[in-house]
Amino acid sequence: MNEQRGKIYVDEHEDFSRTQGRGTRVVTPVWFSTDPRDIGWVRLNIPCQAACPADTNIPAYIQTIADKRYGRSYELNRFANVLPSVLGRICSRPCEDVCRHCWPGNGEAVDICHLKRAAAELKATDHRITENLFTPTGKRVAIVGAGPAGIAAAHDLSMLGHDVTMFEREAMPGGMLYYGIPAFRLPRDVLSVEVRNALRLGVELRAGVAVGAGAGETRLRALLDDYDAVLLATGCMAPSPLPLRGNEDDAAIVRANPDVEYGLDFLMGLHRGVDKTVNARVAVVGAGYTALDCARVARRLGAEQVTVHIRTTEKYIPVTKDEIAETKREGVTIKGLRTPVSLVTDAAGTLVGVRFVQNRLGGWRANGRRQAIPIEGSEFIEPCDTLLIAIGQKTVNDYLDVDVELDRWGNVRIDEDGMTTTNGLFAAGDFVNGSSTVIDAIGHARDLALKMDTWLMGRVRRKLVVKIEPVEKPLRERAFDFIPRQHVPTEPMKTRLVDLDREAEQAFDAATAELEAKRCYLCHHKYEIDTDNCIYCNACIEVAPRNCIKLIKGVEIKQDGAYGALDEARKWNNVGAIWIDNNECIRCGACYAVCPTQCISITKNEIFYQNV
Amino acid sequence: MARDKHYVIIGNGVAGNRAAAVLRERDTDNRITIISLGALLFYNRYELPRIFNGARDWRDYLVNPPAYYEDNRIVVRRNCQVTMVDTQRRCLTLAHREEVHYDSLLVASGGGANMPIALGDFEPLLNHFNSYRTAMTTAEALPAGGTAILLGGDILGIDIARNLAAHGYRVVLVPDEQLFWPHKIAPESYPAYLAVLADMGIEVVEGGPIERIEAGPKGVPRRLLTMADGRDYAADVVMPFYGLAPSLEFISGGGVDIERGLLVTPELRTTDPHVWAAGDVCQIWCVEENAYRFYYGWKNVKAMGEIAARNMTGDHETFHTFLDEALTIEDQGGLRSSFWEYD
Repeated sequence: MNEQRGKIYVDEHEDFSRTQGRGTRVVTPVWFSTDPRDIGWVRLNIPCQAACPADTNIPAYIQTIADKRYGRSYELNRFANVLPSVLGRICSRPCEDVCRHCWPGNGEAVDICHLKRAAAELKATDHRITENLFTPTGKRVAIVGAGPAGIAAAHDLSMLGHDVTMFEREAMPGGMLYYGIPAFRLPRDVLSVEVRNALRLGVELRAGVAVGAGAGETRLRALLDDYDAVLLATGCMAPSPLPLRGNEDDAAIVRANPDVEYGLDFLMGLHRGVDKTVNARVAVVGAGYTALDCARVARRLGAEQVTVHIRTTEKYIPVTKDEIAETKREGVTIKGLRTPVSLVTDAAGTLVGVRFVQNRLGGWRANGRRQAIPIEGSEFIEPCDTLLIAIGQKTVNDYLDVDVELDRWGNVRIDEDGMTTTNGLFAAGDFVNGSSTVIDAIGHARDLALKMDTWLMGRVRRKLVVKIEPVEKPLRERAFDFIPRQHVPTEPMKTRLVDLDREAEQAFDAATAELEAKRCYLCHHKYEIDTDNCIYCNACIEVAPRNCIKLIKGVEIKQDGAYGALDEARKWNNVGAIWIDNNECIRCGACYAVCPTQCISITKNEIFYQNV
Repeated sequence: MARDKHYVIIGNGVAGNRAAAVLRERDTDNRITIISLGALLFYNRYELPRIFNGARDWRDYLVNPPAYYEDNRIVVRRNCQVTMVDTQRRCLTLAHREEVHYDSLLVASGGGANMPIALGDFEPLLNHFNSYRTAMTTAEALPAGGTAILLGGDILGIDIARNLAAHGYRVVLVPDEQLFWPHKIAPESYPAYLAVLADMGIEVVEGGPIERIEAGPKGVPRRLLTMADGRDYAADVVMPFYGLAPSLEFISGGGVDIERGLLVTPELRTTDPHVWAAGDVCQIWCVEENAYRFYYGWKNVKAMGEIAARNMTGDHETFHTFLDEALTIEDQGGLRSSFWEYD
């Protein structure tokens, strides 16, 4: 126990409307801790939240869905990422890969992403958004690029009281959300509402205004002079060129052929309103979301045979399993272990196929992806009439007219305060980290906004705290462990493939969302045994459904003070304490119910930003 | 005393049992365990169509008498599902949380029925014929002279179809691109093959996307198949035959390389030095074709089981197929497929 725990606050974000309605207002003692042990506990024991680049309080928003408090759930999401309805559809879901529910023997991960969407759709139609507004600071900030990173930063900076102006080259805000992701994955009305909500705190959006060196374009140097700080969030807007064998200017070869196009150009053209066509047999090379999106768009444009060619295998591509399954259901074939080496054209120069070389799997690359090693002399030709290339994206830097240090991939370098080598010039999102995901960009931008605020104001104005609140009784039942993973309904193929805008996946209804939400292990609930009151009767160990309560000699104390690995005692005379192993605990409450001395306590542990 | 070496074989089919036999021949002392998902000892799946001749006792299908396993000290763990393989600790986990350690592991878990994703919703209404249990269920659902719809039409399905037709059932085949799989048939010779199917008494209808499969009202016919173009067919059972999909969920994430199957060298080694694979589960590097490919059929699979076992005990043999993969039309009508042959 530490001293800060004596203080009692009333949580101003908590929604008391229900209890007020019945005339009784229950205020539970809540304390806010900055103790590294408490923050460390949250980081260590809530794997989904630790994996989320935006630090979303996942178990709390899922639990509020089980309570049918959808508005609160939406707000909990919105604290971390300003576009919940968007991310509830197209997130790359790093959280679901580490969900404790998919650990060995525990079954399948909770459908975290679709629950986020369920909260957004099931909330009351007159739901009011909560914003934690600071007083105006008089500081002016310019943001270049209205993609996910720009929007997230704009929202947070304007919430913090700064005057934000956004510059966007395209006609619509949203960046890759609007111009990259097809509408059948992200309906544009949903995107538009979320973006407007994010920018309505007074952000001035100058769409159609390009920052660059060209004629009539706004100069970056002028922005630096006019504003107190400038944030670059221009993302990765150029396609990576396809490395063909023995050719020096691959980009020119690709551009010269009307049946070959970069996937990024293809999708951006489509969303700018250009009528795109594809031939009957479409080959897509690439293994990311853009590649799959291109393939799915091609199917909707009438291509009969669409094949995605990847260098490794399906298992190693950075796309969710659901996405792969939906793509295949739409009739797209995925073929693995091949790298394109050249285009095959007939005498008239028309594309007739792509020559590939067969790969075998190699070791692991530094970024955690699998290597593919081409096999000498194993070339083969796959016939196709249209080739779409989606092997990656990189930054565009030609608009920089100030001194900014770039790394070898063209990504801008920032220091630990988020600033580039030019004073007052910050950068966030893919422009810094290279081509990544929407949630990565939002998470990074949110972090950057806080750092910019600290630089602008000269002091830290928001700090990380753990809100710790007693929980009256276990909220899970053993029966919840036997609910299988629920699946969202999907649009039938008949209506799906004829319409570029019809959404492929639909939302959970309230009943299914509740079932799915109940599956969550509520990892933010901490079960603790008060060893001073424990009589070592063993009742909890006997009733435990798993090996979750342990007799230990001691606990590893990590560098930040958080508790680490348990040192289990093999003999009775070595027992130093009885301990609930939070890695094993599924919050079933069996131990809590059986304890004769009531020495087991439950607390809810959530990370929040507190204003200081 | 040093612990006995433990050979563990996942899969109780042709490859697994052949490997167990060869392992025992070459290593008379150490432990051999076969882990099987099913309840039966090794039986001959190729003889299952005999169900229609009235052979409904499982004992009729056993390849080895139970005493064989006792005599050869081969432990068969039945009704056991492997849920995880930890190649670091060389141990596998069974569904009931038991851990089994191995020194050498042979994955011979074979393939399950490959199902087009679009048919997934109708899975409970489909009948399979790939194990004794599913074959019995199917046979019981078919009244004498009843109708069976076969979807896809891989070569295993054609075998069932010709047996059903010969026993007086009405057989409707809705072909797909997997027709005659894994045989590769040139499009121009399709009519000749379809004519042979018609001679066998199999009604081949036009293929196409399937709209839905419904359970009829109680009584017969029990299934109604509706095609996307509106045609519909009534039947007692609907059986999918879209080829095989390797069964390897339990080892994905286990540190061995997988594309569609477990990727192995011609010596049947996976990327883990203690794990081998044989049978329909593995994709073997084919030097001639410069590609990883599958080899099917009893004879191929049996040869793989033998080679894997030899290599697990120190040899360095490579797998070569000797099977003619052509589907031939016999002089007196009828088809001959090397994938139907067994010994």
